Amino acid sequence: MNEAIALERGYRRLVAWYPRSFRQDNEEEILTVLMATAREGQQRPRIGESWDLLRGALRMRMNLSRTPRTILAAVRLMYAGAIAELAVLVIFALTASSIRADVIARNPHVTAATLSYISAHIFLDWISIPVAIVFWVWMAWANGKGYDWARLVSVACFALNTMSLIVSLSQDAAAYAPALVIASAVTWGIGLAAVTLLFCKPSWRYYEQQVAQR
Amino acid sequence: MILTALADGSQHGYGIINEVAEISGNRVRLRAGTLYTALDRLRADGLIDVDREEVVDNRLRRYYRLTPEGGRRLAAEAARLQANAHAAMKRLSPAHGVI
Repeated sequence: MNEAIALERGYRRLVAWYPRSFRQDNEEEILTVLMATAREGQQRPRIGESWDLLRGALRMRMNLSRTPRTILAAVRLMYAGAIAELAVLVIFALTASSIRADVIARNPHVTAATLSYISAHIFLDWISIPVAIVFWVWMAWANGKGYDWARLVSVACFALNTMSLIVSLSQDAAAYAPALVIASAVTWGIGLAAVTLLFCKPSWRYYEQQVAQR
Repeated sequence: MILTALADGSQHGYGIINEVAEISGNRVRLRAGTLYTALDRLRADGLIDVDREEVVDNRLRRYYRLTPEGGRRLAAEAARLQANAHAAMKRLSPAHGVI
């Protein structure tokens, strides 16, 4: 009898490494299985069992188990989106100075109002592109944590990105800054894939579980 | 293997370990840590769900069952493996002395 008590205490010490939310839901059940699979007269957890439980706890702590593949893929895509947006920033930094000159060269009769508008647009891009990089990383983190609001913010960001791309294309940006438009289209494609994954069936279930736990 | 273990009815954790051992001819013996990491993942993916809970000898037993999605996934995987096995057997012609 004392052997069983000592063994259970040993198992509990190992299970204590799991996240609290997981333990609340599963601790007693895991102990049932551990005690059922223990050998006759066993007094403490075996090395293999200890390693298995610690490895499981680590996976849970890193949230590798509960997060569905769709969310993991969406998060990876968002980090890729941040890198793509950084490429947009680099291309923009290299081409921004020539955009204005290019517009004048192609349209000798361009008005001062149009040039002011282009300057304002370039100024806004200097602000919006770094902000977009921050948002990509922030959304990757928040969606990975299962915050339901992050999904909605991600959709809003994607909608803004879509509008920005449509406006750029309608203003003939492809003629003046083709590399920039291509890079922006790539980030838009990444955004579309990420948002689609966030609204897949397994993702819905995951967010619902996370909301219920909080 | 866990999905296969649940294919013909709900099972609790210890039952799943035994079923998996039986299915694999005792080649696979799941440990508790591995089992519950896998169960957590399968639940998150919507392939299994909790069927019911019982208390036996003051110990909690939670029974898991396949969801319709889990059943479809298992059927698709079984069909894929069957097709692979069929292709392998077909290629192992009598010339190889196998069939």
